[in-house]
Amino acid sequence: MKKCSVVIGIGIVIIGLFGVYLVYAGEPTEQIKKTTDKIIGIVQDPALKAPEKEPERRKLIRAAVDEIFDWEEMAKRTLGRHWRNRTEDEKKQFIWLFGKLLERTYLDKVEGYSGEKVIYVGDRVEGDYALVKVKIITKQDKEIRVLYRMRKNCGKWMVYDISIEGVSLINNYRTQFNNILMRSSFDKLIEKLKAKVGQ
Amino acid sequence: MRIRALRHCKIAKAIVFVGLLCTVLLKPCWAEDAKSTFCLIPEDLDLFPTLYDHESSVVLAIAKSNVRSDLGSDSGWGDESVVPAEIDEEEIQSISDPLEPINRIFFTFNDKLYFWLLKPVAKGYSKVVPEPARVGVRNFFSNLVTPVRLVNCILQGKFKSAGTEALRFVINSTVGFLGFQDVAKQEGHLETQEEDLGQSLGVYGLGPGIYINWPIFGPSSLRDTAGMIGDFFLDPVNYGVTRTKYRIAVKGYDKVNKTSLTLGDYESLKKAALDPYVAVRNAYFQYRKNLIEK
Repeated sequence: MKKCSVVIGIGIVIIGLFGVYLVYAGEPTEQIKKTTDKIIGIVQDPALKAPEKEPERRKLIRAAVDEIFDWEEMAKRTLGRHWRNRTEDEKKQFIWLFGKLLERTYLDKVEGYSGEKVIYVGDRVEGDYALVKVKIITKQDKEIRVLYRMRKNCGKWMVYDISIEGVSLINNYRTQFNNILMRSSFDKLIEKLKAKVGQ
Repeated sequence: MRIRALRHCKIAKAIVFVGLLCTVLLKPCWAEDAKSTFCLIPEDLDLFPTLYDHESSVVLAIAKSNVRSDLGSDSGWGDESVVPAEIDEEEIQSISDPLEPINRIFFTFNDKLYFWLLKPVAKGYSKVVPEPARVGVRNFFSNLVTPVRLVNCILQGKFKSAGTEALRFVINSTVGFLGFQDVAKQEGHLETQEEDLGQSLGVYGLGPGIYINWPIFGPSSLRDTAGMIGDFFLDPVNYGVTRTKYRIAVKGYDKVNKTSLTLGDYESLKKAALDPYVAVRNAYFQYRKNLIEK
């Protein structure tokens, strides 16, 4: 199912691997490249390859990703109009849970990489917002288009959405969360998130 | 007696199809508002290069000369607006789903079908057949359904894409050993133009209608289902293979082969989603929208 290969990365930062070509690198692209290279380093580090080192490795990857992912902005956008009515504590809890949910999903993928090529196609900046276009070439010669949406947060470019072949992560989660919130309550949503993350 | 009647029926269908095709193909010639001066073949594209001598080099040379491979200007990235809408004002575009209870049942059915049947078979198959061979098989089947893509490129007025598809077919079927090797992509940078009747209808302005999650066939919409049925008549497999049970076998094999190359994707999706049904529905909607706008 092409659609499923599209969804390879839902919840995943496609952190790339060998053969990076820079066609045009603006500041946002540089940010992504920096984090990508850092994570490559961690995943390829022979000292961290052992299975016992897994928690440490995952912690390092998460730390690298924290530098570039604007968790609060992402969480805000997935709740959409439901965000405004939440208390500060609820917001904090939701941001933390959402981050954990994404982390779980992509860590598995990042650790299972196998030589995919990453091509930085270019970026566009408009004020405090930017788009970065990246192409991933899989082992099976499939090209996957990944679009990072970034926002300048306190002078630093951070990612707030990823679109893979036109499917936006935020949009997808917003639809799911909205569906749950319309049928039940915010507490139910938190419950589901907790159960999911606890797995 | 019956068999002969059936054969006539097939000929009639073929004639109608060819007739429609000619009408559509020649539309720019006879339509009053025809902007272009050519009917089918773009001026700068030689659809029928001579293949007799130095076959591969001639064909590839032509492919290379017609190539425009500036990476950044291709479409298919989705919504490219840099500045997003305000959080409160962002409206959730989605597909109407009045059949949700039934769809959810079919979703669960497909889920079980995947884990109990498709995945084990695909896994076993992948252990026996090496990956390059399976990629080759995938390319072979993809090459075979070129008519579907070609006709729909034309239906959407994308003549350059149609030319690309035709050229891809010629190159891959000859140099690429009946399509097993995607030489057109590797050497000529000619990419598959993914088009189908559902997209053509979308380009004409038809909305998706309602969401339908078919058992076995998976997520679809009212429009895309109509498209699938129309494309059935363009699929060469259905003309070459006449007995239904063999058609099912061929399509089944294609599905197993494709699945063997994407094992783990569906599981990742389920792992990442709070509500997999909604996740799939939304992803399908966004993905199709992107394909149509491409």
